[in-house]
Amino acid sequence: MGSWEYVFLAYGIVWFALLLYFFLLKRRVRKVEVELSSLRSSGDYQKNA
Amino acid sequence: MELLKQTGWLLWKDLLLELRRRESIFAMFFFGTLLLFVFHFAFEIPPDKAAEMAPGLLWLAFLFTGTLGLTQLFQAERENHCLEALLLCPLDRAALFLAKVSFNLLLMLMVELVVFPLFWVLFNLTSWAILPSLILVAFLGTVGFCVLGTLFSAVTLKARARELLLPLILFPLMIPIILATIRGMEILLRTGQFDEAFSWLRLLLGFDVIFLTAGFLIFEWVIEA
Amino acid sequence: MEKTMRKGDRGRRIIGSLALCSILLGLYFGLIAAPPDAYQGEAQRIMYLHIPSILTAYLSFFIVFIGSCLFLWKREKRDDILAYSAAEIGVLFTGLTIIEGSIWGKPTWGVWWTWDARLTLTAILFLIFVGYLMLRSLIEDESRGAVCGAVLGIIGFLDIPLIHMSVYWWRTLHQSPSILRPDKLPWENVHPSMLIALSVNFVAFILFYFYLLSLRFRLGEMREEAKALKLYGGS
Repeated sequence: MGSWEYVFLAYGIVWFALLLYFFLLKRRVRKVEVELSSLRSSGDYQKNA
Repeated sequence: MELLKQTGWLLWKDLLLELRRRESIFAMFFFGTLLLFVFHFAFEIPPDKAAEMAPGLLWLAFLFTGTLGLTQLFQAERENHCLEALLLCPLDRAALFLAKVSFNLLLMLMVELVVFPLFWVLFNLTSWAILPSLILVAFLGTVGFCVLGTLFSAVTLKARARELLLPLILFPLMIPIILATIRGMEILLRTGQFDEAFSWLRLLLGFDVIFLTAGFLIFEWVIEA
Repeated sequence: MEKTMRKGDRGRRIIGSLALCSILLGLYFGLIAAPPDAYQGEAQRIMYLHIPSILTAYLSFFIVFIGSCLFLWKREKRDDILAYSAAEIGVLFTGLTIIEGSIWGKPTWGVWWTWDARLTLTAILFLIFVGYLMLRSLIEDESRGAVCGAVLGIIGFLDIPLIHMSVYWWRTLHQSPSILRPDKLPWENVHPSMLIALSVNFVAFILFYFYLLSLRFRLGEMREEAKALKLYGGS
């Protein structure tokens, strides 16, 4: 029976969405990491100074 | 029982306020009646289908009217830091919960007392024998609504867009009540037999007990946050 | 502090690699190795997505519940971060479950949507999750938001069995028994490779879920740390 289109549609949407969320999450983590390291380094500077 | 006494005082305070200002009760009366009229114009209901569709429309009207009352529920406490003053009193927080639930319940029952006969007349219902059962179903459903509604009215107290947020959160959680009251009333009106509706009634009772207990325990954390 | 961070990262990397392997295996088993269904044809393969994702959604809600209970009990920020993370990822998986269910419905039932019990329940779960996220984002005070979110998490979880009961009664009392229900698992004569495909995909989803959850949790922890640094100038 030819319902492969639906299968590919479903699999495509699901894995696309999951991977999209994953990459967006990675990006959010990276942004906060940068912010955190800059905060930490300025804090160390203040502690030492 | 100290808890009941405190609940009584708080309830009396709210009733007195409401009797003097009459903000909520009239708005709810008119809104409920208005909705019933609008539904009657919006939906073409053939007379033989009236028993099936009527409970749904009635409860939709009550749901929206009740939500109106819920957004007003803590209004008195929001003004002039009254809530902080209330929390400073050595009151059991659960008493505040019970008082607010009872107050909302009384308001809704008063509205239902007016709207229900109107609904009976408008939809040409005739089955008088099952009226006590209908009232029981309606009462239990209203209790459930008031319990969850009061809890989440407190939860959304300081949220932005709370008039929109409260129904958004409340309605999915209310689905057992909505289904049970409407289906229960529909079965009673259609078949006139209590037995079939009994399982729905049990669900209603279970819902009320579970969430009255849960709200009783959880409310103090919400109101003090 | 640095050492525990690295341990957490390593654990996450392990789960991530395991997840990737099982996802690829699951795709193989689901799309290639498993045979098509006798009645539904190839469309039945969507089941290998649908059942794992709905189970993952329920698991997520359970984690929201546990996090909420722990938070109200001990008031530790980590539990709130756990609950919030599980809610965010739970919305994702629940939304996907609905989409999968809808797509599965078209070739098997002929319609994109039907108010059958399972789809309706998933939709309600989705609404509760969305309500949670909206509540958290609309309450400006952080600590208040955490408490209110926890309350919704607990009440929502307690409500789920009641919602299940009421929706199932509603549907079964009105549904004619002659309708074939393709999403019911025929345990009697199921091909063993179908079971394998289902199990592998289930493992894949769970692993990927926990990988995402730990990443999202890490994000929450780091945000808290950043906030503390900004407020107090030193951790």
